Amino acid sequence: MKLTSNIPSFKNYYGAAFAVLVAILVSAKVQKLDNVSYLSYWLGISFGIVLQRSRFCFYCISRDFIEKKNSIGLLGIITALAVGTLGYHIIFGAFLIEPLFPQLPPNAHISPVSIILILGSLSFGFGMALAGSCISAQLYRLGEGLISSIFAFIGIIFGFILAFKLWNYFYLKIIIDAPVIWFPHYFGYTGSVIFQLFILLCLALIFLKFHKKQKREAVKSWWKVKWPTYVGGILIGLIGMIAFLRITPLGVTAELGNLSRNLGDYLNVTPIRLEGFDTLRGCLGLVKNIFWTNNGLFILGLVLGSLASAIFSEDFKVQIPKVNEVRNSFVGGLFMGFGSMIALGCTVGSLLSGIMAASLSGWVFFVFCGGGLYLGWLIRNKYNF
Amino acid sequence: MNIVKKFVILITFLFSSQLVLANSDVLVDTNWLEKNINNPKVSIIEVSVVPGVYEKGHIEGAVNFKWHTDLVDTVSRDIISKDRLQDLLQKSGVNQGNTIVLYGDKNNWFAAWAAWVFDIYGIENVKLLDGGRKKWEADKKPLTPIATSVKSGNIKLTKTNNKLRARLKDVVAVANKKSDVALVDIRSADEYNGKIFAPAGVPELAVRAGHIPGAVNVSWGKAVNEDGTIKSVDELKKIYAAAGIDGSKPIITYCRIGERSSHTWFVLNKVLGYDTRNYDGSWTEYGNSVGNPIQNNTGTVWGKI
Repeated sequence: MKLTSNIPSFKNYYGAAFAVLVAILVSAKVQKLDNVSYLSYWLGISFGIVLQRSRFCFYCISRDFIEKKNSIGLLGIITALAVGTLGYHIIFGAFLIEPLFPQLPPNAHISPVSIILILGSLSFGFGMALAGSCISAQLYRLGEGLISSIFAFIGIIFGFILAFKLWNYFYLKIIIDAPVIWFPHYFGYTGSVIFQLFILLCLALIFLKFHKKQKREAVKSWWKVKWPTYVGGILIGLIGMIAFLRITPLGVTAELGNLSRNLGDYLNVTPIRLEGFDTLRGCLGLVKNIFWTNNGLFILGLVLGSLASAIFSEDFKVQIPKVNEVRNSFVGGLFMGFGSMIALGCTVGSLLSGIMAASLSGWVFFVFCGGGLYLGWLIRNKYNF
Repeated sequence: MNIVKKFVILITFLFSSQLVLANSDVLVDTNWLEKNINNPKVSIIEVSVVPGVYEKGHIEGAVNFKWHTDLVDTVSRDIISKDRLQDLLQKSGVNQGNTIVLYGDKNNWFAAWAAWVFDIYGIENVKLLDGGRKKWEADKKPLTPIATSVKSGNIKLTKTNNKLRARLKDVVAVANKKSDVALVDIRSADEYNGKIFAPAGVPELAVRAGHIPGAVNVSWGKAVNEDGTIKSVDELKKIYAAAGIDGSKPIITYCRIGERSSHTWFVLNKVLGYDTRNYDGSWTEYGNSVGNPIQNNTGTVWGKI
């Protein structure tokens, strides 16, 4: 009898069974697609499981730091960036023997640094504070049964469309002349790794300085125990590296951007041509078919991975939102959609994949997204929004 | 006796055709290339349409030429200059007298285009990997993501043969029946007939649809087998003869921007040995030129709502 308490019951596997069932259906469809589409799906599943188990939600982690002086989550992000930095540089060396200007490694999220990137990062940070989590966390929390996520996605799509309308102006006035700064051009690969690890170490020390010892959680069954964020960080660094090597860098906005662009076209509200858009390196780009793309499958995998993991660990709970939660999710989504479009990616595509790629744009996003988040947190608390 | 004789002929035929296909003057097959990867007399160059394909996995020892920037003048519409090409080839480790094997994605479209550019600058021993990347992958041959490092080569380019390049005036002369040259439009039938201005998903860069009067339509794809390899000489002769192209008079090939037509140029000029030039201005130049005759079988009007 005692033995059963160490083994989760049968119903804990329902989510996993469902994810496998979808995988079988997907495999029938992807025969005709790119041979990496199936890999995208499984990588999405892994990413979803890791996000869900280690509670890798950028806003929640930051709020823990601001409110509870708990730095553990932020240290998890630092871990992901350190592991990813090493992985990316190993791949860079294979793709490009020497980082000679102006050559850039293919597909890496190395985007122009301009006031528009700053505006986008601020908007994104502000939006995620309002909506309660960033885009990747909305996805994994949807898998946990958070219904308000759906309203965040509606907001995100409208935010995208708004940004598309302004894009040509931003691009021709500012982005076209903005510098694309990739550290290996300046310091070589070794220098770039040392530089990045040094900054990450400094950040880790600062976070540790502010850290206060937290109350220990009650002992639970093993499948209910959250993974430490640094474990999540290591795994995300590795998933980021695999994604860069085999598919494209991690990102969760490409398919949302694609959907918004098609919707905008359908409603006849977005420009037919987004100047320079398809030549820039970021999360978004021109994709012709909807949903059955690598990124579409990645996102599908992410939600299902999280669902399977949430059911397994008994975290799954359908949460019906209150009216103000619906409003906050939608408005926050608008800011996030707008921000991630003009910044060419979100906390995953711009921050994680940008910093791992040793791009200044990733660091700029990190700083200003943090600023926007703090502003959003202040307003939310002060006005009880 | 008769049977023995037939058998000998059959064997000879099989052997000789096999030899031609395996390692001709202009095509190499995947097995040949795999055996010659480490041959210092062989330089392998990938020219793919899609950026980033090379880096994720290429044939060991291959260098990457980017058609958007490496093989063109990026400011005026022209192919790369002789000096820049020589510099590029030397940096890529190509030595004088080396055999250059080109390959790429999309059925070697841009690899064939590179072969055409190399021909203009008198580079010898240029071959295509028959079937390109598609065949290499289908044959489950290995690819590597590790970039190739090479020592500088010593190739020298001395000639420029602009006769291999057809210009607007050359095709206008054909359109006005002032020159006896066969024109081959290798685009899709819909483009040829003027139903569409450009293939699906490609920007419309010409303000008129249709084709150059007098051109026959033989889509580039007719020259390849299912697996992407180029068809046998006999089959090719039949296909082109059916459209009236038999090598009895000079030929000019064209398409939209001159890259798919390089594939047909390669087939006609290199495989069949017909006197063929490629018109790299192609439809984006001709279809925008003022005052020249156009044959539009569909009657589509640009910009009409």
